[in-house]
Amino acid sequence: MREAHPGLPDFDYVRPADLEEASRFLAQNPQTARPFMGGTDTFVRLRDGFWKETRYLVDVKNLDGRSEITFDPQKGLTVGAAVSMNQVVANPRVGSHYSLLAQAAHRVASYQLRTRATLVGNVCNASPAGDTLGACLLFGGVLRVHGVEGFRDEPLASFFQGPGRTALKPGDIVTAIRFPLPVPGSVGHYEKLGRNLLSDLAIVGVTVLGHPDSSTASGYRFHLALASVGPVPVVLPDLLTQAPVTPEALEEAAGQAMESCHPIDDVRGSARYRKLMVRNLSRRALTRVWEGLQSGYRGE
Amino acid sequence: MDTVETTTPRPHQENAAPRPVGESVTRLDAHEKVTGEAVFADDLQFGPNMLYARIKRSPHPHARILKIDASQALALPGVKTVVTGQSTPGFIGLYLKDRHIFCTDRARFVGDPVAGVAAVTEEIAERALDLIHVEYEVLPPVLDPEDGVRPDAELLHPELGSYEVANFIFPQPGTNIPNLFKIRKGDVDQALSEAAAVVHHTFRVPHVQHVPIEPHVAIAKVDERGRVTLWGSSQSPFAQRNLIASALGISQADLEVVAPYVGGGFGCKAGVSMEALAVAIAMQVRGRPVKLRLTREEEFYTTFVRQGLVAHFTMACDAEGNLTAMDNKFYWDGGAYAEYGVNMTRGAGYSSSGPYDVPNVRTDSFCVYTNHPVGGPMRGFGQPEMQCGLEQCINHLALEIGMDPMDFRRRNCVKEGSNLVTGMKMHATGIGECIEKAAEAIGWGHKDPPSAPHKRRGKGIAAMWKAPAMSPNAGSSAWIEMSEDGKCTLGLGGQELGQGTFTVMAQMAAATLGIPYDWVRIASPVDTKYSPYEWQTVASRLTWSMGNAVVAAAKDARRQILELVARSWEETPEDLDIVNGNVISAKSGRSSSLKGLVVYGLAKPGDQGWIGGPILGRGSFMPTYVTGLDPETGQGQRAVVHYTTGAQAVEVEVDLETGRVQVLRGASAFDMGKAINPDLVNVQMEGGLVQGISTALFECLQLKDGVVRNPSFVDYRIATSADAPRDMQSIIVEVPQDDGPFGARGVGEHSMVPTMPAIANAIHDALGIHPGAPPFTAEKVYLAMVDAGLVK
Repeated sequence: MREAHPGLPDFDYVRPADLEEASRFLAQNPQTARPFMGGTDTFVRLRDGFWKETRYLVDVKNLDGRSEITFDPQKGLTVGAAVSMNQVVANPRVGSHYSLLAQAAHRVASYQLRTRATLVGNVCNASPAGDTLGACLLFGGVLRVHGVEGFRDEPLASFFQGPGRTALKPGDIVTAIRFPLPVPGSVGHYEKLGRNLLSDLAIVGVTVLGHPDSSTASGYRFHLALASVGPVPVVLPDLLTQAPVTPEALEEAAGQAMESCHPIDDVRGSARYRKLMVRNLSRRALTRVWEGLQSGYRGE
Repeated sequence: MDTVETTTPRPHQENAAPRPVGESVTRLDAHEKVTGEAVFADDLQFGPNMLYARIKRSPHPHARILKIDASQALALPGVKTVVTGQSTPGFIGLYLKDRHIFCTDRARFVGDPVAGVAAVTEEIAERALDLIHVEYEVLPPVLDPEDGVRPDAELLHPELGSYEVANFIFPQPGTNIPNLFKIRKGDVDQALSEAAAVVHHTFRVPHVQHVPIEPHVAIAKVDERGRVTLWGSSQSPFAQRNLIASALGISQADLEVVAPYVGGGFGCKAGVSMEALAVAIAMQVRGRPVKLRLTREEEFYTTFVRQGLVAHFTMACDAEGNLTAMDNKFYWDGGAYAEYGVNMTRGAGYSSSGPYDVPNVRTDSFCVYTNHPVGGPMRGFGQPEMQCGLEQCINHLALEIGMDPMDFRRRNCVKEGSNLVTGMKMHATGIGECIEKAAEAIGWGHKDPPSAPHKRRGKGIAAMWKAPAMSPNAGSSAWIEMSEDGKCTLGLGGQELGQGTFTVMAQMAAATLGIPYDWVRIASPVDTKYSPYEWQTVASRLTWSMGNAVVAAAKDARRQILELVARSWEETPEDLDIVNGNVISAKSGRSSSLKGLVVYGLAKPGDQGWIGGPILGRGSFMPTYVTGLDPETGQGQRAVVHYTTGAQAVEVEVDLETGRVQVLRGASAFDMGKAINPDLVNVQMEGGLVQGISTALFECLQLKDGVVRNPSFVDYRIATSADAPRDMQSIIVEVPQDDGPFGARGVGEHSMVPTMPAIANAIHDALGIHPGAPPFTAEKVYLAMVDAGLVK
């Protein structure tokens, strides 16, 4: 059982003047310093004794340009690292071009927590249950990272390495996440199954993004991502391309999703139930997207 | 002193109660709670002298303590004392003294307090815990109550036979059974052999936690002469005074408990749990206040939890649908100490027929020690767990015999004069009306179409009964002191937990005295040094018991006022009345304000002296009519004071793709005799329904090898407002109680008693599957549907 501690362990709050200083400090204290963004996971983990070595919290949320959402009709969307979930949900550009992202962000925790929690923080936290990871992956998200050697890009496709483990190195600070323009006509849907209706972690999360594609036999292309059924998000790209999309084909794709994952038993649910739910919720999400593609629906 | 002595039923009070009884006046504490002005225990300030306590707890479910070395901890700068069981050899416990304040030779659950530290900061106290080294010899644990009763089971309390115990609790020395309650009524075997239908089911109801929004907190200070003051979030200031004083060997008069508002109790702040730890530590650092505040995680497994239950039911009826027999075996998972929980075993036993007239009943209700968290009181006191299975069996039996479950309940429910399971005669009750009205409110008998093709709907109903489970002679007292302008201060010892008891008491005092409601002030916080005695704020007993004391005190003050004025006016008190704060005479038409006379008395004519004096009304109440029950048969004259009855009906929708159960609507109908404040009664019914839904669908302490695997809100889910039904109806039924003030009886706990089985029965109606034991999680329901071949 995890030890319960009152209050927080001692730590120093560090507020660097710029990114260089922040990266340098983090790199010099690889075991003991952690970047601090919304804090919704950080403080819980500190209190739980999960991060025993942390001595410095490096506040990186007030650095330049990090609290903005920008949209370029040619290049796509950029969400600054300090942008809260609620800001993502409320942004009209996100709503009109990346509504799946807004839908997923809306299912994270509770309204109160979403005023602090950030999209980039959710990604960097790399929880297998992260609600927005699927949408970020399927939209082809790329992280803008500042490290000791300057800026670089980290595509999400190769970012997640295990629960809480990512491609980030000591000194790395994610400044934004960028998404290219979605394929025209894209429709997305996120199905989250929690134990109760509000503010739970996902027992299973299924994200689906589909779009018309004249190069495939079906005329469509579907991508699917699964949460909470493995150490990292499970992605099934390019589904339902070979043959016309029918209820049977959707069912088959859902079965494929079920076979692709290897969940475990834990306090939130059994592996057996999770697999069955991957099938049922994949069927549900694929069907919703398929209906949307036919009717012009753009997701919730 | 005007003491209510009810040995024989009094005639029913007339229904037209004096104002403001029966009115939904605004709560007395509304303004201060909404603005944040209200003071709770953690808000109290004690200055820089205060020390902070933390507790070293056993990591083993069962172990012998070989050695405790605190030398390193004591050497840590800022640490002022380390306390172990050596300083607190006495026993503590409400009905059975089976517990030390700190473990002495043995730890019996994960979380059992082994040592306590006081330090200048909470952080230093916490750090000191790692510097206390405890050597254990790990012992085999008992992790299931049915295992615990086996003859070869490891004994948790070999000294059970020597423990001090209340005379209505029956420990079985040499076993793990701290109480065995038996019912033997009629001839069960004969009735079973002649039955037209018999059902048999077993239910395993898991442990749950109360999860009050305010965790436990206690601050203790001991002065140089050894006199103790304890401030805390408490449902039981007087019981704590008594139990802690007894355990420490000091006088009750030298222990003062101060109890500000409670931020939710639901039973977990009744009796004594962590409060004695703070006192024992403060004993070693005299003059300095010591504060102990539990973390949310500790709240889940170190204070009381609702006991687990393994219940076996066999139930039978005849061809006409008359219940003929019940054969029950209950194994309560009492946890490491059963000092309070033993009485749940008894309560379940004397209510083990459910609210039904059953001629033949055999019940064995075992309380069993296990190496699990300590089972204690929780809203419903055993009845939600017990009636969860019982009311599902009633449903099965009705369907088995081909009767509508609502009609079956109507036919069999207790009525005035019924010969109850203990031999007691039932008083007047509105249970039949409750069953009908709850069913009617959700459109019983009419099947609504589901909201989507992959969903199914069902309706379920369950009835309930519950008596206040307490010592037979649990008492209440009250005083009323008049101020110069005719307003008054009402002294009482029952606690405001959010249920609105201060408001209801002020209403009863105002109505009895004849003054406006807003003239009554409550002497709060409750302080055992200044407040009148009250046994505990539990068992839904305050409106009834403390209400009787308050009415008696108000009558006493009123009598003194009327006698004074009658003497002055040369009239008789019988011709006078107090209406809206004025004494009036029906005979002479004279009228006088209460102002002045209630403190200064009245001048005699011609400046010839004075009559009267400060008015102080006193009242007390104690039920004197509850009798003992035979240990072998559970039969006796009057097992309990009375039963509150009621029913709930719900409509659910089950998602066939996920198994998720959504409660669409719920109707509660309860007979509380008289609703002193209908709004407060309605929110009790709504709150109980939602808490019942929460325990039905989500809540469960996941215990593995004695360890709670989900001690936080991340993985211990409770219902949120989104999980509550949009449509909640609360129906007040009023069949007056002969020993209650204005005919009232309690209704605080009852509304969560029938919720679990009502939902289970609705799930069965929707799917044809008996979901069994709660929680009916989406996973459990889905996998049951898979096993039944309903889905893949």
